[in-house]
Amino acid sequence: MRMQRIVGQGIQALGANKMRTFFMMAGTIVGIAALTIIMALGKGTEKKVMKRVETFGPRAMMLIAGGGKNAGPDMTVTTLTMDDARAVREQVKDLEIVTPIAWRFRINVKYDANRYQAVFWGVEPSWHEAWNWYAAEGDGITDGDVATMARVCVIGQTIRRKLFGDSDPVGENIYVNKVRLTVKGVLEKKGTSPMGTDFDNRIIVPITTAMRRVLNVDHVGAIRIITRDAALMPRQIKEIRALIHARHHITPPQEDDFRIASPVSIAKMARGTSRTLSILLIALAGLSLIVGGVVLMNILLISVGERQKEIGLRRAVGATRRDILFQFLAESLTVTCIGMLAGSGLGALVTLILRQSTKIPIVLSWEPFALSLAFALLVGTFFGIQPARKAALLNPVETLR
Amino acid sequence: MIEVEGLEKTYFAGSVATPVLKGVSFRIDEGEYVAIMGTSGTGKSTLMNILGCLDKPTAGRYLLDGTDVVSLDDDALSGLRNEKIGFVFQQFHLLERATAMRSVMLPLIYADDYPENAEERAEKALAAVGLADRRQYRPNELSGGQQQRVAIARALITDPEIILADEPTGALDRKSGLEIMAIFKKLHRQGRTIILVTHDRALAENAQRIIVLEDGKIATDGAVEKQRDPDLELDTLGAGEDKK
Repeated sequence: MRMQRIVGQGIQALGANKMRTFFMMAGTIVGIAALTIIMALGKGTEKKVMKRVETFGPRAMMLIAGGGKNAGPDMTVTTLTMDDARAVREQVKDLEIVTPIAWRFRINVKYDANRYQAVFWGVEPSWHEAWNWYAAEGDGITDGDVATMARVCVIGQTIRRKLFGDSDPVGENIYVNKVRLTVKGVLEKKGTSPMGTDFDNRIIVPITTAMRRVLNVDHVGAIRIITRDAALMPRQIKEIRALIHARHHITPPQEDDFRIASPVSIAKMARGTSRTLSILLIALAGLSLIVGGVVLMNILLISVGERQKEIGLRRAVGATRRDILFQFLAESLTVTCIGMLAGSGLGALVTLILRQSTKIPIVLSWEPFALSLAFALLVGTFFGIQPARKAALLNPVETLR
Repeated sequence: MIEVEGLEKTYFAGSVATPVLKGVSFRIDEGEYVAIMGTSGTGKSTLMNILGCLDKPTAGRYLLDGTDVVSLDDDALSGLRNEKIGFVFQQFHLLERATAMRSVMLPLIYADDYPENAEERAEKALAAVGLADRRQYRPNELSGGQQQRVAIARALITDPEIILADEPTGALDRKSGLEIMAIFKKLHRQGRTIILVTHDRALAENAQRIIVLEDGKIATDGAVEKQRDPDLELDTLGAGEDKK
């Protein structure tokens, strides 16, 4: 109750000198607004990253032919084979699916006079499960298809539209790289990736058909691996790497002829430099908060000097040192908390405007608000305590002279 | 009521000791109107600060209403000031940009129990100093005399044992000063204990008794033979102005 009255005195003192109060508040407003905007931008990027990881599969790994940092497999590397896939399946524990893929980025497909360029994947039946991607019409790839090198294919929605328009493609023959294949199904629509890749521009065939009849190769482009438990992934990646090292006779520091993509590496790639940048910007916002805090402290210190008579009077009519300390702390904290509310509001406003007017991924959430509140309390206390102590320790006899 | 005995105060600046009070003893009873007089440098302000519980003596005893003040800590002194002493300063010291009501209620903020009828009490205190119609005025809207009356109302609101006034007319013109002294006279008649600290003999003669300090000691302590009457002086002043 007494505390409430003392906080009230602090707030009244702030109201009595609005200009001074505003200057005390300015740094906090700017710092918190910057923090809110930066965190919304960071959160937007993170959401994009999460979406990519989700598309990739949170329990998925890709063993990809060719080292380096490229996103896709290196077509010139021929060392990754079906036997490697078999070895991984048999020797690494707790894997749910191991499914090899032979692929080409561009392959010509033709139906009647319609031509189109598609992404071509040779797969095993478990591919459907590994990507959770099945035939919406007709059938998917089966064990029988793989065993018999069947001349069949399943096409994506874009291919279907480009080659067949509105007519039913199932049972029709198309030419893929001049090889005749029968369309046995149409894949479910997947849409576009966050990066703008059209997932539906795809044609899948049995992996044996792909390797023997279409591509005429002995190697695969990648092996998709699904673990039973994402927590086991770091260990499994190590095991797989060791296994392939042994099979391909690679001893570090000799360069790998393969690489393993995981949700972690995908996220890292998707974040790119944005994370470093956003850490830098958050540091800048933090710095402006600290500068704001120093300004606040200095104005408060000056204000304590100017208000010596008021402080002396309060002491004379019965205020204890604690009362004075708490009043000035209350003033400091009120300034930072109101500054924080104003800064959050300003930041949210700018964020909303950015979201309306640009394509930058932005997500407004409660986290910057909570962080700002923590900052406000911290800055208010840290930079308020010194002036408050100075005020509390003033000798009333001297100030009233 | 107030009992001081062998009061000494020495200020230390490094190794240099400056004695300001050198053994002061007196008693002030309830309802007395006492002036403490002395030229500057006689220890008058120091004595006032000690009587007001703003400062502690180096040696000696001070009993205020039965409480041994010297043994109290800073917080207890704050409580004592709040409860028992009403200050009136030369420079008024009203709260910056605050209404008369808020200035007057200030001591209640620091009271142990904030009274429910705080506003009512502030109104009464303002009425007692003749400012019932100036409740919402701020210092810059009030004359010096009015500001000092707000300060007196502030001193009255906690119903203190003692009113301690330090040169209360020092910053005022003659007429406003007389008005202030008339208020003190009225308060005295109502039974208040008033201690008036001043260097001005004419002002001191408003009191019943004058204690004169000289060089840190009491030079004289005696009753005023002919107490001044500020009301009468105001009348004469008014009459003088009327003639013009």
